[in-house]
Amino acid sequence: MKKELPQINEKNFPLISTHLTNFIREEVLRTGLKRVVLGLSGGIDSAVSCYLAEKALGKSNVTALLMPHRLSSPQSLKDAKNIVRLLGIGHHVIDITDGVDWYFTGEIKKGASEMDIKLRTGNKMARERMSILYDYSFKLKALVLGTSNKSELLLGYGTIFGDMASALNPIGDIYKTQIYQIARLLGVPENIIKKAPTADLWAGQSDESELGFSYELADSIMYLLIDKMYKPEVLESLGYDIKIVNKIYGMIKKSQYKRRTPLIAKVSERTINVDFRYLRDWE
Amino acid sequence: MHLIKALLAQINPYTGDIKRNIKKHLDFIEKARKEGASLVIFPELSLTGYFLKDSIYDLGVNINKEGPGIFGPLYEASKNVSIIAGFVERDDNFNFYNSSFCLSRGKVLHVHRKVYLPTYGMFEELRYFKPGSGFNVFDLSEGRSARARASILTCEDAWHLSSSYICVNKGANIIIINSASPARGIASILDKFSSINMWEELLSVIAFYYKSYVIYANRVGFEDGVGFSGGSCVFTPHGEMDSCAGYLNESSLKIEINLDLLNSERFKTPLIRDENLHLTFREIQDIIGSKK
Repeated sequence: MKKELPQINEKNFPLISTHLTNFIREEVLRTGLKRVVLGLSGGIDSAVSCYLAEKALGKSNVTALLMPHRLSSPQSLKDAKNIVRLLGIGHHVIDITDGVDWYFTGEIKKGASEMDIKLRTGNKMARERMSILYDYSFKLKALVLGTSNKSELLLGYGTIFGDMASALNPIGDIYKTQIYQIARLLGVPENIIKKAPTADLWAGQSDESELGFSYELADSIMYLLIDKMYKPEVLESLGYDIKIVNKIYGMIKKSQYKRRTPLIAKVSERTINVDFRYLRDWE
Repeated sequence: MHLIKALLAQINPYTGDIKRNIKKHLDFIEKARKEGASLVIFPELSLTGYFLKDSIYDLGVNINKEGPGIFGPLYEASKNVSIIAGFVERDDNFNFYNSSFCLSRGKVLHVHRKVYLPTYGMFEELRYFKPGSGFNVFDLSEGRSARARASILTCEDAWHLSSSYICVNKGANIIIINSASPARGIASILDKFSSINMWEELLSVIAFYYKSYVIYANRVGFEDGVGFSGGSCVFTPHGEMDSCAGYLNESSLKIEINLDLLNSERFKTPLIRDENLHLTFREIQDIIGSKK
C-alpha cells in the first residue's frame, strides 16, 4: 500500500505554483485592493509565502514587516533582510521588545512562574506582530498574508489570533515537509531552508524538540489520518508507533477551536455562519 | 465531411453576478462567431458561479415563466451561434435546479437539470438543489444533419457511468460535459493535480467505450480559496484527447468534431450495437427487486 506524503517536485511544481499565485492574485484583487503585507521572520514558511506573493503581485505590491524582539535570534533578522533584498520588496523593521515587555514587568512582580511567563510572552509576541500587521493592513491598504503551514495549523502549534491570523494564506494546505520542497523550487536561500524549524520566541527554541517528534514523521501520519482518512489502527498496522499517532490525533482534536471562528449562541432564525451561509467572496 | 466547429469557453465567472457574467458570455460568443464556430460551450453554472450557498435563493431564474428575461441578450446572440451555458433554474413550485440550457436560433433548444448532486466532502448541492429527472438527447445540428445528437451531463453526472450509458443508448454520439471541478490532490508522479488526471481518464473511458465524442468544459478561478482546474478538452471516439485549453487560466479552445469518425469507430468496435439492453433491464429489475 502506498503511504508516502506526495512530494512537490519539478514535475508538479509549475502547476502548483501557478495555482498558488493565481489564488493570491485573484483573492486579493477581488477585494478591490492590490497589495499584501506579511510578517517576515527569516524562517522558511514566511519566506515561501513572500516568494509566492512577489510572483503573484509583483515586488511593488508586497511589503514585509520584520518585527524582532530582544529574544529573537539576530540571524533571523539578517535572513529576513536578505529575502527583502533578493526580491526587491518594500519592508519596515519594527522592534516589538518594548510593546511586549512592558506588560510582563508587572506580571513578573505578581509572581507568575518562569515557564508561564515564557509561554505567555511568546503568545504576546505573536499577537503584537498580528496587531502591527493589521495596523499596516489599514495604513497600506494591503491584506495580511498568512504564513502558517498545514502541519502547524493541524497540530495547533501557533497562537490563536496571533500568527494564525491572516486575511488569506497560500500555504495553509501544504505540509511542512512539502514547504521545504517548494522553498527549493522557488529559490529560497539554502541557509534558510537548512535552519532547524523554530518559532524563535526564545533563544534556542526548536519546534521538533518541543513537539517531541519530527515534522517528517508527523506529516506522514497526518497525511494518512487527515487526507486519506485512515483510522489510527490502520496506521498502526502500517508500522507507525500508535502512541505517536494517538498523540498527534489528540493534538489535532484539542486545537480545533483555534481553526474556527468563535461560537455564537443561536437565538434567532438565522445565525451567522450557522444558517446564514454565504461565501466570504459574497458579491 | 460532417464537421461541427465549436468554441470551449473556459471562463472564470463572477460569483453571484449574473449581469457581469452575461457580458463575459457575450464576449466569448462574439469570439466564437468571429472564428466561425456554430456552437459555444460554457462550464457548469457559468452564469452565476458555483459555491453559491444561500445566494442561490436570489439567483434562480424561471425561464418557462419569465421567458428570456434577464437572459434576453443571450437568446438574441444565439441567433448566430448556439450557446450552452449553466444557470440556477427556478420552477413554478419554488424548486431550484443546477441547470444548463442550449440556446439556438433565439430559442431554448434543450435544458438539462443536473441529476447527481454531490453532497459530500466540500460539496453541498443537494442542500439547495432538486435533482433533475433524467438524461436526454437533442439534435445539435437542428436538421442540417441528423447525425449530431448530443446529451449534456453536468460534472458529477459523468462520474456515474450509467448516465453516459443512458445517453448513448438513447442515440447520443456527442457527450457534452460541463463542470466546475476544483483542483485538488498533489501526486509526486503527475504534472497535474490528481483530480485533473482522474477526469481525463474518465473522459477517455466514456469516449472510447461508448464510441462517442466527449467535450469537456470546465471552469477556472477561485471561490473562497477553492480553485477550479480548467483543462477543457475534447476526446475522440477513439478515446484520445484531441486538444486541450490548458489548466487553471481563463482561455478558449476552438474544436472540430468530425462526425465521419463516428462511422469508422462504431463499425470497427460496435459496442453500442451489441449492447444487450434487455439483459441490462432484467438485471436492474432483479437488483431493484432484491433491494426491497
